[in-house]
Amino acid sequence: MADGDRIVIVGAGVAGLRAAERLREQKFDGEIVLIGDEARRPYHRPMVSKALVMGTERPSDVGLSHYLPDLDVHWRLGARVTHLDTVERVVHLPGGESLWYDGLIAATGVYPRHLPGSPRHDPRVRILRTVEDSMAVRRCLNASKKPAVVIGAGLIGNEFAASMRHIGRDVTLVGHAKAPLHRFGDRVSSGIVEAHHEHRAKLAMKSEVRHWISTKDTVGLHLTNNQLLVASVVVLAIGSVPSVDWMRGSGLDISDGVLCDSKLFAEGASDVVIAGDIARWPNLRFDETPRRVEHWINAVESARHAADNLLLGHSSAVPFTPLPRAWSTLYDTRLQMCGMPSLAEDTVTLADGITGFVRDGRLVGVSCWDKPRAMLDWMAELDRRLPAPDYVPEPEPAPAAEVPTVEPALAGLSAEVPPEFESGFDAQAFEREFESEFANDIPTTAFPAQSPPTTALQAQSLPAGALPTMAIPMGR
Amino acid sequence: MPLRLPGSGPRISVDNDRCELYGICAMEAPDVFDLGQDGRLRFHTRLLDETTLEQAKMAARCCPMQAVVMRGDLDG
Repeated sequence: MADGDRIVIVGAGVAGLRAAERLREQKFDGEIVLIGDEARRPYHRPMVSKALVMGTERPSDVGLSHYLPDLDVHWRLGARVTHLDTVERVVHLPGGESLWYDGLIAATGVYPRHLPGSPRHDPRVRILRTVEDSMAVRRCLNASKKPAVVIGAGLIGNEFAASMRHIGRDVTLVGHAKAPLHRFGDRVSSGIVEAHHEHRAKLAMKSEVRHWISTKDTVGLHLTNNQLLVASVVVLAIGSVPSVDWMRGSGLDISDGVLCDSKLFAEGASDVVIAGDIARWPNLRFDETPRRVEHWINAVESARHAADNLLLGHSSAVPFTPLPRAWSTLYDTRLQMCGMPSLAEDTVTLADGITGFVRDGRLVGVSCWDKPRAMLDWMAELDRRLPAPDYVPEPEPAPAAEVPTVEPALAGLSAEVPPEFESGFDAQAFEREFESEFANDIPTTAFPAQSPPTTALQAQSLPAGALPTMAIPMGR
Repeated sequence: MPLRLPGSGPRISVDNDRCELYGICAMEAPDVFDLGQDGRLRFHTRLLDETTLEQAKMAARCCPMQAVVMRGDLDG
């Protein structure tokens, strides 16, 4: 990015704010436009299922600070981007407004998943994502003394149940898993079951809702374990889906979040970086499989890294290889997690009651139940055992990993391609083009004339583009 | 640059009503914060050099409870 350029950040959550902050820290002095669909400045979203829903913090208390004399950002709050055009480099806003960019940072996060069959038109059936959601849940709680119900045994479900007990409301947690938080390991899982029991929160595990009964003042739920619950409010917390609809038709891969390379650049665009929950990138510290990480600290770290990389440009950018960290408070107990427990095949008990997660004999994650001091040591240990691979800047990424697999019938053909183009500009991108060209050719042999012109065009434009010849490592 | 008054240097405090002693700050800023074996958090309130200031800002950004409060000239 050069001075005087415009960087547009879509998503005004913690990731959007931290990206803007980092751009200014790195002395970017062009225009920054920060677009968010909520009407509020960035706030501390983890409070929504805790202090805000309990009423112990007011919405005005949970704003996020930045640590700069002046952030100098043009805020576009209450505006939802409707469409992205990566060719023209424009984002479209309601009312026919379009906003050009030189660089784009996408950080739109996730939205709570819909539970099929749930009556979302009922004002007592709610999700928990925004400050307004927490206020709506509080209104329901104030309107009726009936118990609260939360569906979903993940972190938000458990946090909400604990929050309800904190303010003295009866609550039932409904989940189809065998135990709450079972993906954190048995120790954490049994810890939370015990804590719910001790605080008299009811659990209905291995069950789902069979029927919903909406009445004037309450919601009835008939569960598959034949229990009947009558609730003042029902919170749906069964996970989330990435908010990437606005990128539909942009040419980016949005099958699960946005597919990125290891440097957080969106695949298929040289001036779009992705931060936060929607980034699906290969964390080379673990392996080369692109994955999303839905942790709050990851939003902070990926946003700063994405901002750095956008300013450096793709060729000088560095892979993002964090050690993911997560935390929660359930009742008065701190739950912490580090690494990637979801990759593990097995768990082991480590010193100090820490659970270790093991894949192929290697420690890939740790979790703990109220042992922050020991957790610090184990996080440092995990960092030593899973070092971030040394990154050697190279003009071209290693070809082996990225070349699409070739069908046996085509293998002979494609093998001839590399020598022909290797001396040229961007052998790899060209090869990919060439192969998809062949793949396309097979069903449509009747119309061979249609595809070559486009390929010729792209073949010319590709070498001039992002990747290889002009790679002059700068900075770092 | 404006005249720097004595005592206007960067400094931090921790909101004890919010802090739940996760120790994330001690990981981000080991020169500033220390979570002791007794589970108590100790920290330096005055940030003397650029490195500790940057560390402390990162601790404040990553604090799960957003309990780290920074004051004074943050420009470094």
